[in-house]
Amino acid sequence: MNTPVLLSARGISRSFGGNAAVQDVTLELHQGVVTALAGPNGAGKTTLFNLITGHLVPDRGAVELKGASILGLKPHRVALKGIARSFQDLRLFGSMSVYDNVLSAIEPTPWLWQPGGSSGAAARRLQVERALDATGLAELAGTRAIDLSYAETKFLSMARIIATGAPIWLLDEPASGLDPASRARFVKLVRDATAAGVTVCLIEHNLDIVTELADRIAFLDQGRKLAEGRPDQILGDAELIAIYFGERRE
Amino acid sequence: MLLTQLAVAGIQTGMLYALTAAGFALIFGATRVFHVAHGATFILAGYAFLEAVQLGLHWSLASGVALLLAVAFGLFMDALVYRPIQKHEGSFFTVFVASFGAGIAMQALIQFFFGGGFATISVPLTRAAEVLPGLYIAPVFWVALAVVVVVFAAVSLFLERTHAGLGLRALSENPELLRAYGLSARRLSALAFVLGSALAVPGAILTTVTTGIQPADSAHVMLVSLAATVVGGIGSIRGAALAGLFLGLVENLVVSVVDTQWSQAASFVVLFAFILFRPNGLMGRAGAR
Amino acid sequence: MIAYLVNLATLIAIFGIAATSLNLLIGYAGIFSIAHAMFFGIGAYVAAQVALTVSPDFLVAALAAAVVAGALSLCLALPALRVRGEYFVAASLGLQMMASTIFAEAHSLTGGVGGLVGIPPARILGFDVASPDAFLVLALACLAVTLAVVRTLMRGSFGRSLMALRDSESAAEAFGKDVRALKTLVVVVGCFFVGIAGALFAFHMAFVNVESFTLEQSVVLMAMVIIGGAGTLTGPLVGVIALLSLPAALSFLPFIPATEIGTVQQFIYGALMTALMIFRPSGIVGLSRGAR
Ligand SMILES: Nc1ncnc2c1ncn2[C@@H]1O[C@H](COP(=O)(O)OP(=O)(O)OP(=O)(O)O)[C@@H](O)[C@H]1O
Ligand SMILES: [Mg+2]
Repeated sequence: MNTPVLLSARGISRSFGGNAAVQDVTLELHQGVVTALAGPNGAGKTTLFNLITGHLVPDRGAVELKGASILGLKPHRVALKGIARSFQDLRLFGSMSVYDNVLSAIEPTPWLWQPGGSSGAAARRLQVERALDATGLAELAGTRAIDLSYAETKFLSMARIIATGAPIWLLDEPASGLDPASRARFVKLVRDATAAGVTVCLIEHNLDIVTELADRIAFLDQGRKLAEGRPDQILGDAELIAIYFGERRE
Repeated sequence: MLLTQLAVAGIQTGMLYALTAAGFALIFGATRVFHVAHGATFILAGYAFLEAVQLGLHWSLASGVALLLAVAFGLFMDALVYRPIQKHEGSFFTVFVASFGAGIAMQALIQFFFGGGFATISVPLTRAAEVLPGLYIAPVFWVALAVVVVVFAAVSLFLERTHAGLGLRALSENPELLRAYGLSARRLSALAFVLGSALAVPGAILTTVTTGIQPADSAHVMLVSLAATVVGGIGSIRGAALAGLFLGLVENLVVSVVDTQWSQAASFVVLFAFILFRPNGLMGRAGAR
Repeated sequence: MIAYLVNLATLIAIFGIAATSLNLLIGYAGIFSIAHAMFFGIGAYVAAQVALTVSPDFLVAALAAAVVAGALSLCLALPALRVRGEYFVAASLGLQMMASTIFAEAHSLTGGVGGLVGIPPARILGFDVASPDAFLVLALACLAVTLAVVRTLMRGSFGRSLMALRDSESAAEAFGKDVRALKTLVVVVGCFFVGIAGALFAFHMAFVNVESFTLEQSVVLMAMVIIGGAGTLTGPLVGVIALLSLPAALSFLPFIPATEIGTVQQFIYGALMTALMIFRPSGIVGLSRGAR
């Protein structure tokens, strides 16, 4: 990789009781590069995200953003440093409208109002509208999140991230269960973002999407990183593919 | 001697708390319902016993009546209040509020028919005898001790040795296991309410014959059960029982240091301290957050 | 009759403020406090003490009441930050029970069980507002201000942040929200307003004692919010009107003895709370949550 490392997790481990969910994993995200995290269910992919974003604290290891440690920071501090993430189970703000979901995602100041006065508010509204346009949700702005269809909830989850303008996105199975047309729209969203310089790490089971989007693939299984490389290297490895599809050889 | 006397009183209160709190903890552990109407079960049983005795029933029959009503109320709450709520939403607070409301309504009902004052019946068991110089113990203390030991032994045996008992424990720890056992979660939750409500009965009867019972005890019992369950560690029946005993002791022993008016507040200082500093309780597993 | 209605309207305004402030915690932030009567009481005692010893000016007393209640609310914020769900409910119950005891026993501050008597009539900047009509106007003005402030805050970013963390705390954090700061802030704001309600209550009754600030009162406040509709602006008000009109409505029913009205009322709101949770958990005013 030619671009510099933006975000890195080095040698991180975390276990729950006796279950080592992530063991000594090192992951580097290079500026502007799309890295896919692949691996079977329970491999530790989501846990790795949680360890990076501060939703979980690693037992061992280091997490650095542009060379400075962000280990042990609370999730909201990590977020404010420009790392936006999605959740596998989405975690939308269910009782709020689509518009408010996105707007609230860019109102981090924990005070009675946001700084910046009315011009700040206008700028945020513009950001929200752009994100809604990009995700095709503009018409649904007033709908409550719990009333959306499945595909719409997936795009709302993306809209919240797009609106933040964060330079790093961690996406946890953002396209799972989408129909082909929606999947194509999703691919375009990510392409547009990377063209604008966003660094993306993507957990994805669908190999079509992985081949279409990823510049690199890191392959996890049972908490360990088994391999990392270009898509053709990883997807050409019969052993990894066998693990992936559950035909584990002993 | 004062301290010993207080400790004896504390153990007696604490044993009854332990039983009642164990019932609350059992229900919570198995069904995740914060059954605060448990306090209403308690006064219902107490007043039922009282009424039955005053109608001329033998005490054993009267206890049976109390048991029957307590269990019926528990089953009623499970089938007609909690289950419908859990079917459509079941957020913790919705269930809690429903339970709270039912407890208040039951308390008001009892107050409407029996008045708000203390009601009691005098039995020879409560006449204290001097067992050591300066130390008075009423025979009811030994009765309470015997009842508590027998009931706990029975409950432990049931939970550890029977198919249904194992199912109850599995319900809180690993619902997946239920299917393997071939047990129905619905039946088990009914069973939890039967057992849990029944556990409030001995305390209610013994309280009625010793200090007397009043509708407002509903809130007090609810608070103590809740406090004991948290202090003992949510999900742990043994923890709740121990904590109940502990809270009864604390309530009585603090009297040697501060005025009696502060004694109930002492339990809540303990509760508050536990929540802040040891939220998993005496015996709880992790999972306060 | 008119006097009765004026009194009822004043109480509705006072409890309207209290319920609206509790709704900030329960309805918007998902902080299920059963200790609100404690802060209502703190407001009332502080206002009474200020009126008795410093100045009978309502503005001074109410400000002091609100500030002290807001400051002491940090006792409630502490468990709200550390635990949630059942644990927080238990903690707030514990706090309420401790407070009731302190109210009854701290004679020098609260007058003990006898309470504080002889609170002077309220004045504002030298004007007498003690007449029932004038005081009703004052109470309604306070209610209007409270509603306006709450409405503005809840429609703004603060309200959105609270609802976001109520709906999904981890997602709110992932978008940079400092959950601790927000929870602390909403607890302080909520208790600030209930402090004002307490001050109005003290001047209105001219007498305060622990009876008005017990667990039962906390439950009544909670019932008002929930029956009316938590998380809506008008819900708590509807709940207040419903529950405060209940005794009056019941007294028209001939078959209920006057001495039992309190008990019957208790039965009704208890049963109503349960029935609503079964059939309409979002309250009278609330939106139906819809199928998930
Ligand atoms: N909070 C937690 N407590 C206990 N165990 C956990 C926790 N989070 C994850 N685990 C365990 O860690 C392991 C890895 O889980 P993780 O969710 O990271 O897998 P994943 O790769 O994201 O799988 P999937 O493709 O199914 O999403 C699993 O065995 C899981 O049960
Ligand atoms: Mg996952």
